[in-house]
Amino acid sequence: MIQQLLGFLSYYIPEVMLVVLMTSLLVAEASVKDEHGNRDKIYAYALGFLGLTLIPLFQNSGKAPVHVFFNAVTIDQFSTLVKIIMVIGTMGSILLSRTSKDIYTNLKSEFVILAVGVLIGGMLLASANNMLTMYLGIEILSILSYVMATLKRDESTSAEAGLKYILYGGLTAGIALFGMSHIYGALGSIQFVDVVDKVGSLQGIQLYIVMASFVLFFAGLGYKISAFPFHMWSPDVYQGAPIPVTTFFSIVPKLAGIAALIRVSMVFFTNNTILMNSWVGLILVVAAMTMTVGNVTAIGQNSVKRMLAFSSIGHVGLMILGVAVLNEAGIRAIIFYGIVYMFMTFCAFYITSYLNDQYGTDNYDVFRGLIYKNPLMALIMVGTLLSLAGIPPFSGFVAKFNIFNIVIEKKYYGIAIVAAINSVISLYYYVRLAKVIIFGKADSNEEVVGFTRFNQTVILALFVPVVLLGIFWDKVFTLAGSAAIFIK
Amino acid sequence: MVSLSSYLIISMILFVTGITVMIGRKSLVAILLGVELVMNAAALNFVAYSRYMTDNLDGHVFSLFIIVIAAAEAAVGLAIVIRFFQIKETIHVDEATQLRN
Repeated sequence: MIQQLLGFLSYYIPEVMLVVLMTSLLVAEASVKDEHGNRDKIYAYALGFLGLTLIPLFQNSGKAPVHVFFNAVTIDQFSTLVKIIMVIGTMGSILLSRTSKDIYTNLKSEFVILAVGVLIGGMLLASANNMLTMYLGIEILSILSYVMATLKRDESTSAEAGLKYILYGGLTAGIALFGMSHIYGALGSIQFVDVVDKVGSLQGIQLYIVMASFVLFFAGLGYKISAFPFHMWSPDVYQGAPIPVTTFFSIVPKLAGIAALIRVSMVFFTNNTILMNSWVGLILVVAAMTMTVGNVTAIGQNSVKRMLAFSSIGHVGLMILGVAVLNEAGIRAIIFYGIVYMFMTFCAFYITSYLNDQYGTDNYDVFRGLIYKNPLMALIMVGTLLSLAGIPPFSGFVAKFNIFNIVIEKKYYGIAIVAAINSVISLYYYVRLAKVIIFGKADSNEEVVGFTRFNQTVILALFVPVVLLGIFWDKVFTLAGSAAIFIK
Repeated sequence: MVSLSSYLIISMILFVTGITVMIGRKSLVAILLGVELVMNAAALNFVAYSRYMTDNLDGHVFSLFIIVIAAAEAAVGLAIVIRFFQIKETIHVDEATQLRN
């Protein structure tokens, strides 16, 4: 028994390391005096430790997929790859929380502790293999996120963001849980391994119970990835929360939610045609609405954070199209999209963050004439915006192209047209910001203090993948190609 | 003899009550109470299904976890409500209107 558990633990080293990191950070937070040098050490320690967890993760990605802890958790290539992306996303957000003044001035290392906690929840969610671990993952992710949204304690916007987050979150988590309980009743097991067989032979009343319950269940995951109609919290929370937190929210919880959505879709909806058709229909409608609502509402925004929030809703709409096709090509496209979207988000939010520190607002106006103040950063921002819109030389184009490719292969022409129209709409508001950057007249020629040499190097390093992935995308694609879901 | 359907009816009533409270009431504390009601409805379902429909204990374990998580969520929720109250001096949900289009 003990030996078996230890054997399981050998697959679970990254998560254990993160728990150790979180606890040690709590101790350090309580015991180390807050002098400037000390705080830097804590940040460096956290970043180094997170970097170390990548080693066992890469080792896991080479192993054969298994279910560990009595089928509660699965370690397969897909979940490991998602975890690697999430760890890198967390590291980037932590670095931003150190260099941006948004929360660094009045906090010690709470951001790091909470971010690592959310990461643990995300990892659990990405490799959840029964309903209990999936629910635990969602809740660990959510409860810590609520606290993160409120990190700027003294500002009413931040408190309001946290409030809206927890009210929507509690509602949707409750609804999803209610759906889960009926799925358990109809199928008689919470283990995905057992469920796979039972789904195939579902009939009559049980089938309808499961169908209805899955609509409820979708609320929980749809809320995490901010899909229509559960997207209402997203712009408010993004705008109210401090920028490093916003950056973090648009990467880690979203990826974890999409990973869980993929696994649920593959487990429950590949064996039963009636269930599959209704689920695909639901996802296609949700995807179309999510894209349209996100992109259309983004047009009228004046806050860059809010605009990026709506644009991220639009991107999620595209990403879940990869779920709707229910095959490995879809998973590959989603993972590639996730990687690319992470780097684009980083570039956009890093630059917005330093401008926000300087001028105290994130209106379009602070970008006015950025090209005269700092040409390099201005060009990177324009490149990122074009990549977000999906203009060819950049990686955003390849990511979007992959999604279109798989959708058209499955002959979902209607949704492909909707997605194409949405790309055009999104181009409008991205180019509008790019126009402000290049053709706007700056009020003054002052230097932006936040663009120190170190920060510029970081931003440049984050921008390199945005360009390179657009050219050498096949390398990453082969990596993502091995990301198979292990069901049984 | 208490049957499965009576449990399901009770949990359905709890669920609908919880949702109604969340939508209808304007006090933040009442809304958090609504969340608890919905979660308890789900927990009751799990236990009932576990007793009548299956031969395993998954549902019982699940309901224990739900109780723990509901407590954690209520703690964080109340902390945020207190912070909101300290800043705005009200717990009326209609006062949370700073962030909007």
